[in-house]
Amino acid sequence: MKPAAFAYTAASTLEDALRELAAAPEESHVLAGGQSLVLEMNHRAVRPTRLVDINTVPHLGLLQTDDAPDDGARLRVGPLVRHRAFEQPVDEGPLGRLLALAAHCLAHPPIRARGTMLGSLAYAHPTAEWPTLAVTLGAELDLRSVLGHRTLAAEEFLAGPFTTALAPGEMLTEARFPVLPSATGVAFLEHRPTAAGFAVLSVAVALRVADGTVVDARIGLAGAAPRPVRAPAAEGLLTGRPPTDEAITEAAAASAETVADPPADPPAGIPFRQHAVRVLTQRALHRARDDLTERT
Amino acid sequence: MPDPGREGTTAAGRQDAATTRVEDPPLLSGHGRFVADLRVPDCADAAFVRSPVAHGLLRSVDLTAARRVDGVLGAWSAADLDDVPLVPPMMRPEPGHGRAWPALATDRVRYAGEAVAVVVADDRYLAEDGRDAARVSIDALPAVLDPADSAGDEVRLHPGASNVAMETTVGEPVDPRVWDRAAVVVRARYRHPPLCHTSMEARAILVRPEPAGALTVWCSHQAPHRLRNDIAEVFGLPPGDVRVVVPDVGGAFGGKSETWPEYLAVVLAARRLGRPVRWVEDRHEALTAGPRGRAQTQDVRLAADATGRFLAMELRTDAAVGGYPHTGWFLPEVTARMAAGAYATPHVHVRARALLTTTPPLCPYRGAGRPEAAYAVECTVDLLARWLGMDPAELRRRNFVPPDRFPYDTPTGFRYDSGDYAAALDLALETAGHGHWRAEQARRREHGGPPLGIGICAYVERSGAGGEFGAVEAHADGTFTATSGCCSTGQGHATSFARVVARELGVDRHRVRVVEGDTALVPRGVGSFASRSMQNGGEALLQSARSLAGEARERAAALAGVPAGDVTLDGGTLRAGGRTFTFADLARREPLRAEAQVEPPQAFPFGAYVAVVEVDPELGSVRVLRLVAVDDYGTVIDPLIVRGQTYGSIAQGLGQALCEESVHDEDGVPRSVSLLDYLLPTVAEMPEVAQAETCSPDPNTALGAKGAGEAGCIGVPPAVVNAVADALQIDPPALAMPLTPETCWEAAR
Repeated sequence: MKPAAFAYTAASTLEDALRELAAAPEESHVLAGGQSLVLEMNHRAVRPTRLVDINTVPHLGLLQTDDAPDDGARLRVGPLVRHRAFEQPVDEGPLGRLLALAAHCLAHPPIRARGTMLGSLAYAHPTAEWPTLAVTLGAELDLRSVLGHRTLAAEEFLAGPFTTALAPGEMLTEARFPVLPSATGVAFLEHRPTAAGFAVLSVAVALRVADGTVVDARIGLAGAAPRPVRAPAAEGLLTGRPPTDEAITEAAAASAETVADPPADPPAGIPFRQHAVRVLTQRALHRARDDLTERT
Repeated sequence: MPDPGREGTTAAGRQDAATTRVEDPPLLSGHGRFVADLRVPDCADAAFVRSPVAHGLLRSVDLTAARRVDGVLGAWSAADLDDVPLVPPMMRPEPGHGRAWPALATDRVRYAGEAVAVVVADDRYLAEDGRDAARVSIDALPAVLDPADSAGDEVRLHPGASNVAMETTVGEPVDPRVWDRAAVVVRARYRHPPLCHTSMEARAILVRPEPAGALTVWCSHQAPHRLRNDIAEVFGLPPGDVRVVVPDVGGAFGGKSETWPEYLAVVLAARRLGRPVRWVEDRHEALTAGPRGRAQTQDVRLAADATGRFLAMELRTDAAVGGYPHTGWFLPEVTARMAAGAYATPHVHVRARALLTTTPPLCPYRGAGRPEAAYAVECTVDLLARWLGMDPAELRRRNFVPPDRFPYDTPTGFRYDSGDYAAALDLALETAGHGHWRAEQARRREHGGPPLGIGICAYVERSGAGGEFGAVEAHADGTFTATSGCCSTGQGHATSFARVVARELGVDRHRVRVVEGDTALVPRGVGSFASRSMQNGGEALLQSARSLAGEARERAAALAGVPAGDVTLDGGTLRAGGRTFTFADLARREPLRAEAQVEPPQAFPFGAYVAVVEVDPELGSVRVLRLVAVDDYGTVIDPLIVRGQTYGSIAQGLGQALCEESVHDEDGVPRSVSLLDYLLPTVAEMPEVAQAETCSPDPNTALGAKGAGEAGCIGVPPAVVNAVADALQIDPPALAMPLTPETCWEAAR
């Protein structure tokens, strides 16, 4: 469990880092928290010949809420924001609560202190917490290289287990989460055999209610499909109705339909996944409704 | 004989208030020295080229490119050697006949991860570069994973030898009429998944060639004298030319008693290169190619009369011992002999087999055959209780070997020394608040709430085997040396052995220095496994200390001109005819030393465990609400250490019950190769644990100590599985370990 030889460069600016990546795009890797990359290098599952360390680049720890000109506020997260930063709500509203719920499920304190949200998104473990939330909430991701930059929705960015839209030489430079309106109930639940390792399944829920009626239902599932997905049928069953027990039960049952071609690890059979997705979704929806009730 | 004041069973077997261990300050402050920490000049590092397939014909190993890697000093496969070292079988040679285990595979590989070549380089990074440059060609053969398939010998792992490496029966066959006439006969099938030892420090060895062909070997090991003798024999050296030194060890659990093929390959490489070579097993190797424990498949039959009295028990157990039987062939026999459990069942018959499978070699893992026996017995007793509609505790009480029948000869050929099994069970139930939980269970069954279950395991185990050496020497500076043939791998001998000697001599324990784990300093020894250290090694030190005290009395008497019988020893001071002497006074005149070689019979510690669990009715997740361990280890020398070891074994037992399994795919390739896949219980999964003891001193030793430290691995799995079955109101055999949520969900459907 020792990595193959590699060259190491500590970048001084973002442009510098992108230039370094461009020098050998196929063989270079960005080093941020290193909590997955270094493990994979030790197993020689990945063998970058160049590591571009961005921990030395100033201002990459950006974490702030900006008002977007057209459609509401966005939480901007830079490449060096550690998981730990989300343990306490970063926003007074439901978004901060939801991120904190997920942060407390994420690995354990030493990993949270070092690992980064953008690193986790780039690693794209099929049941990791941040990809699930990014898909659920419709986060936007900025990708940069010396050739320019582009913005992708999280759903487009995450292609499959450990697979993203990142091209060689590209780096994930920002994630933007829409700030959730205050009348949104949130919940995040995982199913895991022990506190170590990755979850078998997880469910993220954001339920926006107006005048007693669900106006926006977001249900994100990990462990159901090769990558985190939303459960549109379940969301549709909730939208436009009051979040009654009956509606929740129907939606939860529909959520099981998302189970298709799930990841092999952590292992669990299809029937159990379908069943557990339904149970977790039902519980998460109840929690989200309780969350809303408690806050309003 | 035991101290008369301590005979019988009491709830307070503890002799002294808890203290700290003298080992801990260096270990907890980063000053421990493990094999990987040793600074030996010019030491090179080894890495192994390992088979990617579970079974196949080895066509070629091309190390040309590996040898060209910068920093690689040498690389060898079996093809480069005239004489490939062979791993010696443990205890008896027969299981190895026709089943040679070469240190590096010669013509065939028999498990994924088997070493086919060793690459030595200036450091481990470069050694792994060399490893990756090796090219291995193997023609795959069918994997043999199921013991039942193995027994048919359709695919033989060793041509010319059966896959059945050992078959034995114990006890007399049960008369068929006993089954026919019994009021109830229950049958069960159990599978014990293969487990990994997962000691914090995996295996490690450093070999330094010395002048004239001698060797110094530092190894993370449980039995240094055996390792010395094996290395000497394999390489044709006089045993005195091999010095084995065991530095700090980060856990062993049975996986470090053996002479592994990797060790022999490292010796070979060091001799060829004429420089020190080290191999430190990493976690990936340990979970891929390292030894496995348990891996038994069992069929059980238990007959009882209408009142619940056991009439007969039959066990058939097959252990998947891996590609080579050398280190695990005897484990199913241990299970066979322990199959009587805590009960006076008149007829017990067992057939036990060791079957070859294309998996890593089986070897003892904490409990080593006893957890498998306790599980077979205790889950079947709960099954019977369900059939009879009886309280499981009451059913056990009705069948325990009663206190007045000791020593008790089991139908399986063991002699249980002493005990009061019902007292341990009663204490465990009381400690657990059994009545409260039964009431809560009834309330939930009537009014709703997550299913709650209570499970019991009443176990008997076996500890100690063989002889052991001890010596005590008084020094002129007032200190003492206690030399033992045992070898601490984390058990705290420097604390507990010092305590044995200090108490006997009436001196401060901090003046007693314990020496062990170095074949140059300890003339002979057996080691630390089978919970034998205090029972055997402690007894040897006690006897040594007594001899030393006797010799000191004689000398004091001679100096004072009084009969030896008039000399008193109190607080480390000898009083003889108005004169006083310390041991140091006497040691200044001439060396004062005594030694002992003891061979007490094996002992049979026992106890009772109670688990209270709650099961998520929808997801099947098991939450252990309460775990009670009542153990009877005989006389306890250091309660802090003994409770600590019990706690650790409880965690491992919980891991076995709930989450641990070394998973192989259908081709026999390990899938759980990191601690993200091989799941250990974490602090988050550990329930509140209550520990208590009864004390039935070993009647066969002066010290009275029986083995301690493995009980949690024995008591917890049946207690937890029985509790989950009780919660779900199903038969325990319907649940197969590990009890993952999915397993419980399916069983409860």
